[in-house]
Amino acid sequence: MSDDLKMNNILVVDDSPTMRRMVITSLGSLRRIKSSQAGSGLEAIERLAIEPVDLMVLDLNMPDMHGMEVIGFVRSHQAYRNIPIVVLTTKGEESSRSEALAAGANRYLTKPFDPRQLADVVGSLLQAS
Amino acid sequence: MDKPNPDNRGEFFDQFLDDYYAECDEHLVSIRRALVTLEDEVDARTVDRTLLDNLFRSFHTLKGISGMVGLSAAEQLAHHLESYLRELREGTVVLSESGFEALVAGVSLLENVINARRNDQPSPSIDEVVERLQAVSADSASVETAPAPQTSESDATATRWQVEFTPTAELAERGVNVNSVRSRLQEIGRLIHAKPVVKDAGGIAFEFVIETSAGKAVLASFEADGLTFKPAADEPAPRAKEAPPVPIIAPASVVRVDLDRLDELMRIIAELVISRTRLEEQLTDLKRSTPPALWRSLQETSLSMSRQLRDLRESVIRVRMVQIGEIFERMTFVVRDMARESGKKVIVQFSGGETEIDKFLVERMMDPLMHLVRNAVSHGLETAAEREAQGKRSEGLLSLSAATAGEKIIIKIADNGRGIDRNLVLARANARGLSQENSQLDDDALLNLLCTPGFSTRDEADRESGRGVGMDVVKKATEELGGRISLATRVAEGTTFTIELPLTLAIAEALIVSVNGQRFAVPQSAVREVLEVESSATKVLENNEIIPYRGKVLPLIRLARFFEMNHQRGDNFHVLVIGEETNAVGLAVDRILGQREIVVRAIKDPLAQSRGIAGATELGDQRVVLILDLTALRQLATTSKH
Repeated sequence: MSDDLKMNNILVVDDSPTMRRMVITSLGSLRRIKSSQAGSGLEAIERLAIEPVDLMVLDLNMPDMHGMEVIGFVRSHQAYRNIPIVVLTTKGEESSRSEALAAGANRYLTKPFDPRQLADVVGSLLQAS
Repeated sequence: MDKPNPDNRGEFFDQFLDDYYAECDEHLVSIRRALVTLEDEVDARTVDRTLLDNLFRSFHTLKGISGMVGLSAAEQLAHHLESYLRELREGTVVLSESGFEALVAGVSLLENVINARRNDQPSPSIDEVVERLQAVSADSASVETAPAPQTSESDATATRWQVEFTPTAELAERGVNVNSVRSRLQEIGRLIHAKPVVKDAGGIAFEFVIETSAGKAVLASFEADGLTFKPAADEPAPRAKEAPPVPIIAPASVVRVDLDRLDELMRIIAELVISRTRLEEQLTDLKRSTPPALWRSLQETSLSMSRQLRDLRESVIRVRMVQIGEIFERMTFVVRDMARESGKKVIVQFSGGETEIDKFLVERMMDPLMHLVRNAVSHGLETAAEREAQGKRSEGLLSLSAATAGEKIIIKIADNGRGIDRNLVLARANARGLSQENSQLDDDALLNLLCTPGFSTRDEADRESGRGVGMDVVKKATEELGGRISLATRVAEGTTFTIELPLTLAIAEALIVSVNGQRFAVPQSAVREVLEVESSATKVLENNEIIPYRGKVLPLIRLARFFEMNHQRGDNFHVLVIGEETNAVGLAVDRILGQREIVVRAIKDPLAQSRGIAGATELGDQRVVLILDLTALRQLATTSKH
């Protein structure tokens, strides 16, 4: 399979199953996309270990392992440090935007999110990488 | 074109409403559960950190998903609840009585707001509750600062182990993953922390530190799944920041299923059960014309199909089961509100909350059970002053319990209040022309009167118990589900309602019997024993036919006579022993034809309904067989002579 026909695997990490479905459905307009899901930070890292991931959409406030810790782990790991990360978190903690971007998140979006905007952001990050 | 259009946000997110409601329900269930525990910690210096974390996260998630579906009242309310929880968690306020009340009010309102949207009704106002939540945040902030989060004490005999788990696709396939490993470790000890680590070769592993008194052998049994163990270095317990508490979370592998789809699945299984019964009958017909070897092999296939069908049925039933504790917790909050409004003191106890019950039954029984609970608080339990005057503890006790017995689930709602005044009930029934009896009522007769439509013992304006359903509806709902309600009450001691329900509807094990050439199905769960009896062994005592049974006598019910069939009696017959030790009766039938799984269908046509008949089923030959209602038969047998 040539590179431009490759399916991009998006890992959607959120402890709310409804939110995960919303994210995955929002990305439905993008081409050559598949997705996998994780309900906690630890599960997200496990997915990374057992399947190739091209981009993460990551919630911050989760049980087990906070999204910030996930960013820290991914960015310090040789094999994963280039995976684009879109943080998608509930509005309210404004300080977390600068923290997340400083820790290595590529983009920072808030919930409620606009499905079209999320798809655009993910699409452009995939094209750039 | 069935793809939703992401340009239209409202419509786009409407497609997630069912998921949204389902997830809200889950969070509300766990929130109520947490609040029950939290109530004990009002004014406490230390509040369980895990509990606060879980509550915080539930409100946080509700806020997030409510915002997505555009339910801004729920989003705002959840936001204020979350903020109060954050303050509690950070220790800037102490959980006060008024703070707890505000939390409870906020949660009830949140539920109402979500339900209003679900039922297309206008949303209730959230202003007052929001103000209360803001007030408790500001109020108690100045009082004192809360101490550091509580850490559970270490077990002196426990050892700390460092456990390493390396995930692989193969292990994940087998269901061995970071979540399953963690819960297995939590079963044998206390999890101190869990974190991912990078191995030398660049791979990923998870490192868990657990404290457990389990021996090496237990740990060794984990090694098959690629876990390695070594004693943990004696490091100080990591701070909360790096070792967040590890609550149970919903793993990504859990799916939600609409109950309608499960009903559909059950219906298909019921059809399969009928088809298989038909197949079995046809096999019997084939026996004479088929070579024995071939017939045996057909028979074996049929039998294994039968086993598989049973497994399939049980699996589907398991999927439908929910824990009844959810209902109990919901009731606790209703009781709290009622107690506050009426000035009574009530302690709610529950046991058997882990008992599982078919989701369909839960939904149908919710209102009737709630009615019994409201009744217990408004009629059963006395005020603190009345109780003290009688030398009782000032707090009334309401206990809710559930247990399974055979294929039944038994739910009890008991109070230790004033009991039901039989004379009052009788006088009222007479006054309303509902009864001509003047004798002392037993519990069954009392319950029958209470459940007569048009009868209500509502003394004053007890608005709580008047809502929606009455006792007649409670009884009807229970019986429609194939269940039974009973009552035990003693003046000044209290009242207990017992509701028996089948674990699940639709399919049951039954004995097929014949009487006078007519076939009947008898629910097997009710049959204690089957006896073969010679006609000469029966005696007649005071117009009752009896047989000797285990050193005592057993009264017989002749089904043939009961259903007024023209009966020719043979020499021998069979007796099914039903009921408990003291009030057992024997059901006399001609022959036992076999044991079957039957698909229970209610008889809805009132013209076809008859006492002693619980429903109908269809056997392989497509002829209808009536299902006997054993409890009704027993009751009829004790009131009239057969």
